[in-house]
Amino acid sequence: MAPRMSRRRFLQTASLAAASVPLSKVVASAQPTLAPGTFAAPGSFKDTKTVTGGVCEMCFWRCQLVGKVRNGRLVKLEGNPKSIDNGKALCARGNAGIKLVYDPDRLKYPMKNVGERGKPVWKRISWDEALDECASRLDGIVKKYGPQGLAVWYHGASAHYPTAFFKFLGVPNMCEPAFYQCRGQTAIAMLHTLGFVPNEDVDMANAKAMLLIGTHIGENVHLSHVRNFITGIERGARVIVVDPRFSSAAAKAHVWVKIKPATDTAFLLAVMNHLIASGRYNKKFVEKWCNGFEKFKTAIGGMTVAKAAKICDVPESQIVEVADILAANAPNVAIHPGRHATWYGNDFQRIRAHACLAALLGAYEVPGGIQKIERMSTGHVHWPEREFKDDYDPEDYALAEMEEKYPFRPPGTPTDMIRETMISGKPYPIKGMIVWGANPIKTFPCQEETEKALKNMDFVMVTDVSPTDITMWADILLPEACYLERYDHIEKGTQWDCADKPQQFIAPRMPLIEPMFERKDSVWIINGIARRMGFEKDIPVKTQEEYVDHCLKEAGLSLEKIRQQDGIYIRKGVCSYCHAQKQHSFPTSSGKIELYLDDLKDEGFSPVPVYTRVPEPPRGYARMIYGRSPVHSFNRTQNNAWLNHEIPENPVWINDELAARMGLKDGDRVALENQDGKRSVSTSVLKVTPGIRKDVIFLAHGFGTFNSAMTVGYGKGIDDQSMNTRTVIEPETGCCGMRVNFVRIVKDGRPIDIPA
Amino acid sequence: MQYAMVIDLNRCVGCHACAVACKAEWDVPAHNGRNWVRRLGPAETPYGLSKTYYPGLCNHCDEPACVEVCPADTVMKTFACPETGRKKTMEVAATYKDPFTGVVLIDKDRCIGCGACAEACPYGARYVNPDIGEDGKADKCTFCIERVEAGLEPACVQTCLSNARIFGRLDQGEVARYLKRGASRLESDAVRIGPNVFYFGNKKDMHLLKTTCTPKEMPEASLIGKRALFARLGKGVLKGTGLAGIVGMACGIVSSDDSGDGKA
Repeated sequence: MAPRMSRRRFLQTASLAAASVPLSKVVASAQPTLAPGTFAAPGSFKDTKTVTGGVCEMCFWRCQLVGKVRNGRLVKLEGNPKSIDNGKALCARGNAGIKLVYDPDRLKYPMKNVGERGKPVWKRISWDEALDECASRLDGIVKKYGPQGLAVWYHGASAHYPTAFFKFLGVPNMCEPAFYQCRGQTAIAMLHTLGFVPNEDVDMANAKAMLLIGTHIGENVHLSHVRNFITGIERGARVIVVDPRFSSAAAKAHVWVKIKPATDTAFLLAVMNHLIASGRYNKKFVEKWCNGFEKFKTAIGGMTVAKAAKICDVPESQIVEVADILAANAPNVAIHPGRHATWYGNDFQRIRAHACLAALLGAYEVPGGIQKIERMSTGHVHWPEREFKDDYDPEDYALAEMEEKYPFRPPGTPTDMIRETMISGKPYPIKGMIVWGANPIKTFPCQEETEKALKNMDFVMVTDVSPTDITMWADILLPEACYLERYDHIEKGTQWDCADKPQQFIAPRMPLIEPMFERKDSVWIINGIARRMGFEKDIPVKTQEEYVDHCLKEAGLSLEKIRQQDGIYIRKGVCSYCHAQKQHSFPTSSGKIELYLDDLKDEGFSPVPVYTRVPEPPRGYARMIYGRSPVHSFNRTQNNAWLNHEIPENPVWINDELAARMGLKDGDRVALENQDGKRSVSTSVLKVTPGIRKDVIFLAHGFGTFNSAMTVGYGKGIDDQSMNTRTVIEPETGCCGMRVNFVRIVKDGRPIDIPA
Repeated sequence: MQYAMVIDLNRCVGCHACAVACKAEWDVPAHNGRNWVRRLGPAETPYGLSKTYYPGLCNHCDEPACVEVCPADTVMKTFACPETGRKKTMEVAATYKDPFTGVVLIDKDRCIGCGACAEACPYGARYVNPDIGEDGKADKCTFCIERVEAGLEPACVQTCLSNARIFGRLDQGEVARYLKRGASRLESDAVRIGPNVFYFGNKKDMHLLKTTCTPKEMPEASLIGKRALFARLGKGVLKGTGLAGIVGMACGIVSSDDSGDGKA
């Protein structure tokens, strides 16, 4: 796609059209006749008003920000100087929020699809028409099929109020890709093992050693998290990165373990086994705070360093070196559980292994370890309890319950169960789909299945900010105000460095500017639908402001009060280190860290972390792994003109020796083809490097949007998800495995096998 | 004094925040940049595998190649030392090096947008911004001197999440300390014009940076000279035209010069 025409190029084109204008006139007009200084950009600090209260949503890290506004136009975003989280800094995406707000491709008006799903022809309609149609279609489905005839795929802060409404309607089918295609196992494995979910609360800044397993810090730029990582390195931490690829984090590491993909659990088990066998684990901590050590020890005893070295394709000495570094620096070691874990369909056990390793090292609630951070709490907005007709109970229609599957699933219904039901109509028909802020085309594996499911609907309603892939599948498409134009999320956190004076903050998202065109916020949209469906009297809040104020009340706060505090309320916090807490607490059923988890055994799973082999790449193919691009969030930012300029596509990484044997060179244009013969629609640039194993191909996720309405990002780079024609659903959690497909390179239309 | 910047590659994670913040601060077109981040490697070096970044910007050189090629008419300009208030008056074209702060600046009101300065820079730190004025104006990093004068940090420094960018006087404070620790310039035998942006990092990263990002030659002086000459003749007609087009357009330039354009 041609880049957007600049004003200058537009003028050039225009002047070509007006070729009869004499050159002398053109020259004369080129002379500066304006006051001195006219041509110099003024800078964001001059003649601007600083508007506080912004909370970023270019990603989910939600840094606190301020806007510089000149004549009603937002000219720059900066970190809120009052922030104890991100401070005055913002990442590239945070800075580029300006280009999202004013993206000419953004959705402006409600639209009706008068073409086909997937091949839309859009007709602009009024909000009244749009809401009338949504309400009557949703109501029709509920009347005909019951509330279980609807399903919701959602993402982001603005979806909270809508999902609460659909729960009130009795819809049992809700799915958040943030769980089932991302961090579900991390959260749920930690919850069952520790009794709490630490997320990324790992005190890297004060660690003496860090272990990252495939965690791409630096490529996933979560600001205070990256700052924690870099600070830890600067303070002298030894860094171990286990990754098949020389990632940005590996580039900062002292030890890079170039592991064979899908063998990480074997690696972790061997490190633990070695620590136990050599007596270098924290006996006191294990005795007091761990459950089932003896059974655990016996169960993992078979995974020797020699065995793991073979499985993982790394030297034995390196596994020993890693164990030595960890033991020497325990308990002040950061065993980072990572975030995105949906890799192979056996990831729950790997995350449990992380938690167990940290336990053997006593690396909890100590400087450098995993923390239990205390944040302020806020309230919720509830729709009233409702009596359903004919004793209907949404829980009777929860698909996972009905099939007695996935006992350790994260909140919601597994994506593939909803999708299968949409296609098969079994065990009951799902006929209406509501998508709010998610882009299931790019998020879920097996795109053709998703498309089949969407085609099978009676009604599809999509709300979004930009014309993402999924919007092509809507019957009614609703334009939402973006995060800089609305109230919603309340960010809660603490000072970024655990060792600093403990503080807690609350920062509710407040708009920096008014929404343009006919963009509306989720409270306005949902209330409009609710009213038309006859639920006027049940509406809990009238505006988004009221929504946020209601939630703040529990913390004794209000928007007004926080406005006076420049958008961030800060109070004294609690030190998360155990010496300050007096002792640990692990609110599991045993009150200890579950090295051995009976609940797993009861459900027929291994109670101790276990390594399971996954299928190897077929001859001629390599495993496709994916990750993040530092200036992009999933598939949400590729249309941003500034971010696109920084990184326009996702280079396909291939090992240099392999490339030489295949006759490929750095910079070649290539497509990918997977084991099922599926070829990528678009191409990308080949990156030839020694920094990747020979059995993997890597690319960043989220590129190659299929929607031509995204004029900047359309067709740029390769859509990694389109290569996932297979997935493995994890039996414990129902989460997707998305590193289970294999690809070869296509150049000039000709597939080239990956040499063995 | 001389303002300078150090970029600590040990801290840099290649997040590109600097490049984007600058765009917002100075209204830089999406497809240009006053500063940039090039992603380097992973590549082998004699010291091991490296993956690092080249966050680049105008070097505010001691002997800037861009200043001498500016074909705009000169004026007398008075500069004041921000610390002592001492004044100095010099004859300058549309781009000049401030004798007190060492910052290389462009007077956009007098810039004719010919692009000679952009071609003269061995670091590629200048571009012609087509959106300013009728015919475009040269643009580049100013070390955010306007922000600095207002008591702020440069935009790229403020937004840097890992404090990898250090700005200040060359001879004082953290910059001076980094220089003592071995922060160094991207210079080669052929390009030695005293850049005031310094890089600091471990051996492998510095090796990769220096071997891939140091300019190996000065841009061809004769070509720039020609561009400047024609630009001077053309008085702003040529903005944005590639060098190859210049000769062919020469006749037009002369006739336009005859058209009564008063800026001689």
